Amino acid sequence: MTFVYAATIAILAGAGIYMILAQNVVRIVMGVALLAASANVLIFLSGRLGSVSPPIIPEGTDVLAQTAANPLPQALVLTAIVIGFALTAFGVALVYKAYRSLGTLDASAMHDAEDMGSPFTPSQAKQ
Amino acid sequence: MTESTYNLLVLVFPVLVPLTLAAITAVLWRAPAAQRAVSIIGLGVIVGVSGLLTMAVLQYDILAVEFGSWAVPFGISFVADRLAVALVMITAILALCVGIFSLRDMRQTHIRGGFYPLFFGMITGVNGAFLTGDIFNLYVWFEVMLITSLGLLVIGRTKAQIDGAIKYALLNLFGTVLFLMAVGLLYGATGTLAFADLARILPTLEPTPGLVATAILFLCAFGIKAGVFPLFFWLPASYHTAPFTISAIFAGLLTKVGVYAVFRVFTLLFAVEASGIREIVAVVAALTMVTGVFGAAVQWNIRRILSFHIISQIGYMLMGLAVATPLAIAGAIFYIVHHIIVKANLFLLAGAIRHASGTDDLKKSGGLLKSHPWLAVLFVIPALSLAGLPPLSGFWAKFLVVDASFKGDMAWLAAAALFTGLLTLYSMTKIWMEAFWKEPGIERSQPRKIPFAMTAPIAVLGAITLTIGFYAEPFVQFAEQASITLLEPDVYIAAIFGAEAQVGEATALRSEP
Amino acid sequence: MFPNTLENAFLSGWLPGETVPTLLLIAFLGAALSFVALPRVGKAAGVVAAALPFTLFAAFLTYVPVLATGDGVPTIMQTVQWVPSLGINFVTRLDGFSLLFALMITGIGTLVALYAGAYYADKPAADRARFLSYILLFMAAMLGTVLSDNLIVMFVFWEMTSLISFLLIGFNSASKEARAAALQSLVITAGGGLALFGGLLITGMEAGTFSLRAITLEPSLIAESPWFYVIATLVLIGAFTKSAQFPFHFWLPNAMQAPTPASAYLHSATMVKLGIFLLARFDPILSTSDVIVMVMVGFGLTTMLVAAVMALRSEGLKAILAYSTVASLGLLVTLIGLQGPGSSVGIAGFILAHALYKAALFFCAGIVIHATGATRVRDVGALFTLLPLTAVSTILASLSMAGLPPFVGFIAKEYVFEAKLESSFAGIVTFVAVGVNSVLVAIAGIVALRPFFSQKSAFKGEPKHGEVWGMTAGPVVLASMGVFFGLFADIPQYFIVGPAAVALSGAPFYVSFEIWHGLTPMLALSVLVIAIGALMVWKWDAVQSAAKSLSFIDRFSVEKGYNATFQGLLSVARLSTQTLQNGQMRTYLVATIAVVTAAMGYALLVGAFGPGAAGFAFPSVEGDTIRPYLAMVSALVVAGALVAAVARSMIVSLVGIGLSGYGIAVIFMKNGAPDLALTQLSVETLFVVIVTAVLVKLPAVGDGLKTYSRFDIRPRDALLSTAFGAAIFLVVLSIAAKPFNPSITDYFAATSLTEAFGRNVVNVILVDFRALDTLGEIAVVAFAAIAAWAILSLSDGKGPADLDPAHDRSTRGVSSLIFSTTAQAFFILMIAISVVVLFRGHNEPGGGFIGGLIASAGFAVLALALGVNIAAQKLILHPVVWMGVGLVCAIVSGIPGAVLNESFLTHQWVDLNLGFMTLKLGTTYLFDIGVYLTVIGGVLAFLIRVQQQTGSPDAKPSDALPADEPAPNTNTQGASA
Repeated sequence: MTFVYAATIAILAGAGIYMILAQNVVRIVMGVALLAASANVLIFLSGRLGSVSPPIIPEGTDVLAQTAANPLPQALVLTAIVIGFALTAFGVALVYKAYRSLGTLDASAMHDAEDMGSPFTPSQAKQ
Repeated sequence: MTESTYNLLVLVFPVLVPLTLAAITAVLWRAPAAQRAVSIIGLGVIVGVSGLLTMAVLQYDILAVEFGSWAVPFGISFVADRLAVALVMITAILALCVGIFSLRDMRQTHIRGGFYPLFFGMITGVNGAFLTGDIFNLYVWFEVMLITSLGLLVIGRTKAQIDGAIKYALLNLFGTVLFLMAVGLLYGATGTLAFADLARILPTLEPTPGLVATAILFLCAFGIKAGVFPLFFWLPASYHTAPFTISAIFAGLLTKVGVYAVFRVFTLLFAVEASGIREIVAVVAALTMVTGVFGAAVQWNIRRILSFHIISQIGYMLMGLAVATPLAIAGAIFYIVHHIIVKANLFLLAGAIRHASGTDDLKKSGGLLKSHPWLAVLFVIPALSLAGLPPLSGFWAKFLVVDASFKGDMAWLAAAALFTGLLTLYSMTKIWMEAFWKEPGIERSQPRKIPFAMTAPIAVLGAITLTIGFYAEPFVQFAEQASITLLEPDVYIAAIFGAEAQVGEATALRSEP
Repeated sequence: MFPNTLENAFLSGWLPGETVPTLLLIAFLGAALSFVALPRVGKAAGVVAAALPFTLFAAFLTYVPVLATGDGVPTIMQTVQWVPSLGINFVTRLDGFSLLFALMITGIGTLVALYAGAYYADKPAADRARFLSYILLFMAAMLGTVLSDNLIVMFVFWEMTSLISFLLIGFNSASKEARAAALQSLVITAGGGLALFGGLLITGMEAGTFSLRAITLEPSLIAESPWFYVIATLVLIGAFTKSAQFPFHFWLPNAMQAPTPASAYLHSATMVKLGIFLLARFDPILSTSDVIVMVMVGFGLTTMLVAAVMALRSEGLKAILAYSTVASLGLLVTLIGLQGPGSSVGIAGFILAHALYKAALFFCAGIVIHATGATRVRDVGALFTLLPLTAVSTILASLSMAGLPPFVGFIAKEYVFEAKLESSFAGIVTFVAVGVNSVLVAIAGIVALRPFFSQKSAFKGEPKHGEVWGMTAGPVVLASMGVFFGLFADIPQYFIVGPAAVALSGAPFYVSFEIWHGLTPMLALSVLVIAIGALMVWKWDAVQSAAKSLSFIDRFSVEKGYNATFQGLLSVARLSTQTLQNGQMRTYLVATIAVVTAAMGYALLVGAFGPGAAGFAFPSVEGDTIRPYLAMVSALVVAGALVAAVARSMIVSLVGIGLSGYGIAVIFMKNGAPDLALTQLSVETLFVVIVTAVLVKLPAVGDGLKTYSRFDIRPRDALLSTAFGAAIFLVVLSIAAKPFNPSITDYFAATSLTEAFGRNVVNVILVDFRALDTLGEIAVVAFAAIAAWAILSLSDGKGPADLDPAHDRSTRGVSSLIFSTTAQAFFILMIAISVVVLFRGHNEPGGGFIGGLIASAGFAVLALALGVNIAAQKLILHPVVWMGVGLVCAIVSGIPGAVLNESFLTHQWVDLNLGFMTLKLGTTYLFDIGVYLTVIGGVLAFLIRVQQQTGSPDAKPSDALPADEPAPNTNTQGASA
C-alpha cells in the first residue's frame, strides 16, 4: 500500500499546486487546502501504516498492544489538521473580504498593495 | 522553589507570559482601555522575564526544560542558548518600544480589531520559535506567528492591506505546508522530533535522496519565511501596507525567525558543508543582497525602501551560514541582533516622518531638518547603521561577515556585500535628502509635532544601536560564544541528554569539516 | 557579566600618560557639546568654536620639540582598548608626518571657525551653530584619521570625514545643485571607502594585524602575498576617490557648492589630502612594485594635466581654485610614486605650503564673494580699496603658490623639481610639471590681480561690506606664515618638514629645506615656469578662450561617464525590481513553486547520484499487501482532487475537495485512527460549509473571472504541478524505504496508562506528552478566529463592531415554530453530548476538540433556526472572550505542575472517592476544557461572522473602507481622545 499512499499524496499535492496556479483566489485557497491535506497524509504515512487497531489501551491491560497503530503521527496530524483548517478558513474569510472591497476574485486584477507608493507607472493590471 | 526550578520556570515565561496576555486581552475584548493598561504592564513584565532568562543563560551557558516532565525525546523541550536568549531579549525590548509607539499610532478601530491579542500572540509565536527544542513544535509556533501576523496585517482593512495580505497569506501558507511536509519526512526518516535527538540520530543515517530533499525542503520553507531570493515576493507586496507599528515589529522579527530556523536546522541537524548546500546558500545570499538593494534603490516611498532593505540585509545574515566559520557564524548572529533593532527603528521613524510631514512619499515630503532637528539625529543613527557605516552597530556586523568571507575564501561574496553597502547608503541618503534637506513638501508645509510616545521608543532603540556600536567588545564576545553552541552540536545534545551523549559516529548529511 | 572590558577601556586606557587619545576624546566631546552649546552663544559662536581647535593646536605644538629631537624616527604610540577580540583598538601614532597633519588640521581649523563665525554672522543662529558644529566634528574626524595606527579605526574616521563632507556640501540644502553635488561626492568617496575597506580587511588577513606601522615595517608580508595587487588596487581606489584623482576628480569642483569656509577647510587644506596621507603611509608597500609606482605616477600626471586644462576653462573664482587644488593633489600623487629622499621632503614641504596658500586663497575668494555676491572672475574688479587686507593676503598667498622666492611655496617647489629630476621618469614628469606649474602660476596671477586691480572687469553692484576682522584674520595669518616660513626656512626644516620627511622615508636622514641652494637645474625650471605663467596672465583672455574652444574635452567628460554608470546601475535595479516584483501573484507563485520543485529535483539527484550518495531505494513490497478497499478509497481521494483541479465550476471543485477529504477520513479510520477520522470528517464538513456560505455570495462560473489561467499557460501549470507531485512521490518513497525507528512510540505505548493515566494514547499525547503543541494549536484557532472576526466586521471601523443587535444586519433565521422548538431541544442535546465526548476523550476516541466541534454544531443549528443573535445570546459571552477563557484554562492547567513538579504542564492527578465509584481527576481535564472552549469560541466566531456577512442583503462589493490612506496617525487625536 505504500506506493498507493505515496501516489495519493503526490497527486493531492500536484492537484493542489495546479489549483494554486489558478487566477481565481478562491481556487488558490482550495489548492492550499488540498496541499495541506497531502501533507497530513504524508505525516500519517511517515509513521508507517499497516495496523488497523486504534491506539487505545483496552480495559484490563496496562500497555498498548504491539499491533496497535502508531499514535504519534496521529497526534501530529490532528494538530496539523486543526491548524490547517484555521488558516484556510481565515484564507476564505480574507478572499471574501477581498471580493467585497476590491471587487474581484482575479489575482491578476489585485494590485492595490503594490500600486501604493510604487515608483513605476501603474500598468500592473496587464500580464 | 530551588534555584534550578527558578531557572527552568524562567525559561517558560517568555512564551507563557505573552500567551497569557493574549488570553487576558481577548477576555477583555469589549474593554479596549483595560486591554491597553494590561498591555503596557505586560510588556514590562515580558522585558523583565526575558532579562531574568538572559541572566540565567549568561550564568549557565545553556538551559533546557522539559514540558510535562516528559523526558526528551518523548516530550517537548525548550532550550535556551546564547543565540536564542539574545533574540528573546531583543524581542522583548522591541515589543516594549513598539508597544509604546502604538499608543499614538494605532487607532481605536485597530484596537477593536484585536490588535492586542494578536500582538501578544505574535510575540508568543516568535519567542516559542526561538526557544523550542522540537521541530514539530517549531512548526506550531511558525503557524501562530503566521496567523497573528496576518491578523495584524489586515487590521486596518484598507484595500491595499487586503490585497497585500492575500499575497502574504498564500505564499506563506505554501511555505508552512512545505515545512510541515519536511517535518513529516524527517519524522519518517528518524522516528523522532526533538532537535537534540535528531542531532544524535541524523549523523548515523545515510544521505538518501529523501533525506537530502528533506533538508532542501526545510531550506525552502525557511527561505520563504526569511524572504530570500527568489522566494521573497510576499514581503515587498505587503509590508508597506500595514500601520507603522505593525510594519516595525514585522520588519524586526518575522523574517529573522526564518533566518534563526535556518541557522538552527543547518547547524544542529544538517551540515551546510554537504550536498552542495553551502554553494546554494552562498549564491542565494549574494543574490538576496543585490536584488533586495536594487529594489530599495528605485523606490520613492520610505516604507517600500525599507521593505526591500529587509530582504537585502537577510542576505548578509545568510553569508555567515554560507561561510560557516566560527567568525562567520558569530558575525551572522551579531548581524541578526543588530538588524532587528535597526530595521524596526527605521519603520518607527518612517511613522514619525509620516506623522510630521503627512506623507511617506519622498517626492512630497521635506523640510524636516529645520523643523525636527532631533528627529534628524534619531534618523541618522539607524540609517547609517543599516548602511554599515562606522562606528555604528551595522559596521561591526558587516565587518564580521565580510572579514569572515575573505578569510573563508569567498572574496566574491564579500565584494557583493560591499557593493550592496554602497547602494544601501545611497537609498538612506535619498530619504535624508528628500525628507530632511529639501524644502517643506507639498503635503504639509507646517510639519506637525511628534508626540513623545513616538520619539521615546525611537530614541531608546537608537541608544541601543549606539551602545552596540561604541561598546562593541562585549557584543562581539557574546556573538562568538553564541556561535559555539551552533558549531558544536555536542554542547546542545549534552544540555538535553547529559554530557555522555554524543553525536553519532557515522557521517551522513553532516560531513566532517 | 562581560569580562574585564570595562576596566580595560576605562582604567588602562585613560592613564594620564596617554595624552594623544585624550586629545582626540576632547576633540569629539567638544564637537558633540558644540551641537548643544553653540546655538545659545549668538554671534560669538565662531570665537567660541575656535577655542576648541586652538586648544588642541597648542597641545600638539608641545609635541613639536619632542618629535624633532629624538633618535631614529621619533614616534609616540599609545593604546586604548576598544574591540580587542577583533584586534581593533585605538592605537594612536604620532610621528613627524601625523603631527604635520594634526597641526594643519587644528591650526587651519581655528582660523576656519573664526572665519565661519563671521561668514555666517547675518544668517540664522541655528544655521551658524550647525555649520560650526559640523566643522568641529569634521576636525575631530580628521584628527582621528591621521592619528590612528589601526587600519580599521582609521577607516572609521575616514568614513566619518566623507559623511561630514556630504553634510557640508549640501549645507545649503534648499538648493538642488547642492544636494546633487553632496550625493555625488558621497557616492564617490564612500564607494571608494568601501573599496578601501575591502583592501584593509585583506591586508589585515594577510598580515595578521591591523597595525599600519607593523605592516609597513615588514612590507614583504603584503608585498609577497598573492593578494598584493588586489590590496594595492583597492587602496589606490580609496585614495584616488578621496583625493580627487583622475578619473574621480570631478566631484571636487562640484563640491564647491559647499559654503566657502568648508571649501577652504575640507576641499583644499585637509580632507582631500587624506588620500595623499594614506598613499604616503602605504608607500613602503606600494613602492615594492614598479607597476604600482607607474600607476601612481601615471594617474598623478593625468590628473595634473586634466585639472590644468579645466582650470583654464573655468570662470568661477572657487572653481578655478578647486581645479588648481586637483592639480596640486595630482602633483602630490606623482611625488609619492617617485622615489628618493628628495620626494619625501617635497611631499612634506608641498603639503605644508599648499595648505597655507590654498586655504588663504579660498578664504580670500570667500571674502570677495561674500562682500559682492558675485562668483565669477569677470564680474569682480578694482576691489583693492574696499578690501585692502584681503588683497594683500591674496597677493602673498598667490606668490607662494606661484613659487616665487622668498615664499615657502618656492622652497617646496624646488624640492618637488628635485624629486622629479632625481627620478627615473625625469623627462615626461618634468615636462608635465613645468606645463602644469605654469598654469598654476597663471591662476595665482589671475586670482590675485583680477578681483582687486583689474579695471577691465569692475564690480558694478553695491558691496555688502568691507573688511571684517573675523574673516580677514585667517588669510592674513596664513599668508604671513607663507612668508615667514620662507624667510626663516630653518624653522620648518627643523621642526615640521624635517620630522615629517624622516617619518615618511622611515629612516633618519639629513633634511635640507633651504631657500637658496645654488644655481641648480631646479632654479632654472622655476624661472621657466614663472616666465610662462606670467605670459599666460598677460594673455589670459586669449588663453581662456583657446582652452574653451577645446570642445572635444566635453565629449570625454568623466563626469558624464559617472552619471551614465550610476543611471545605468539604477536602470538595472529598476529592471530587476520590475521583473521580480511585478505585482502579479501568479508570477510569485510560479517562481516560488518552480524554485522549490527544482530544489527538490536537485536534492534527489544529489542524493541518488552525487558524491558519496546512498543511491535511490524503493520501499520493499514484500508483506505490504494491497488492500483493495483502501486502494479504491485512495482512488476516490485522487479523483476528488483531480475533479477539483480541472472543474470549471467552483461548486464542483468544492465537492471534489469534500469528497477527497472524506476519503482521507476513511483512510484514517481504516488505518487505526478513529480520532483522526472524526476530526478530519468534522473539519472537512466545516470547511465545506464555510466555503459554500461564502461561495453563494461570490460570482460562480462564467463570470469573466478567468476561473482558469489563460489557455496557453494551462499545460505549463500542469507540467509544473506534475513535476512537484512527482518529486514529492519520490521523496516519500525514499523516506519510506528505510526502516522506522519506533522508540518513542514504544515509550508512549508503555507509559500512557501507567504514568499519564489515559487509555487513548492519541489523546494522552495531545493533552500531556505534547500538550505544548496543542496549546499552540488552540492559540492558532483563537487567533485565526479573532483575525477573521475583525476582517469580516460589518461596521468598517466606524463604531462598535461587535454583536450589537442594532448594528447587526444578519438574517432572522428560519421562522418556523416547530423547527425553532426542536432546534432548542436539539441544541441542549448536542451540548450534553459534547460534554460527554469531552470527558471520555482521555480513554476513548473523543476529547476537547471533537467535543467543541459538536457543541458548535449545536449552536449552528440554533442560529439557523432562531438567527445568529439568539444563538450568540445563548453563548452568554462574546465568542472571542470564550476563546480567551479557553486559553486561560489551558494555561492554568499547567501551573500546578509548574509549582509541584517543577515543570510547566506536568499534569496532576487526584482520586476523588464518590462512594459508589472512584473518579480519577487530573489537570488534563482542565486542559481539555480549555481546548473545548477555544474551539467553540473560534468556530462560532467564524460562523457568526460568515453568517452576518453573507446573510446581509445589501452586501455588495465596495463596502470596505473607502480609501486606502486614512493615515494611521492622522487619527491619533481621535485615538487619544
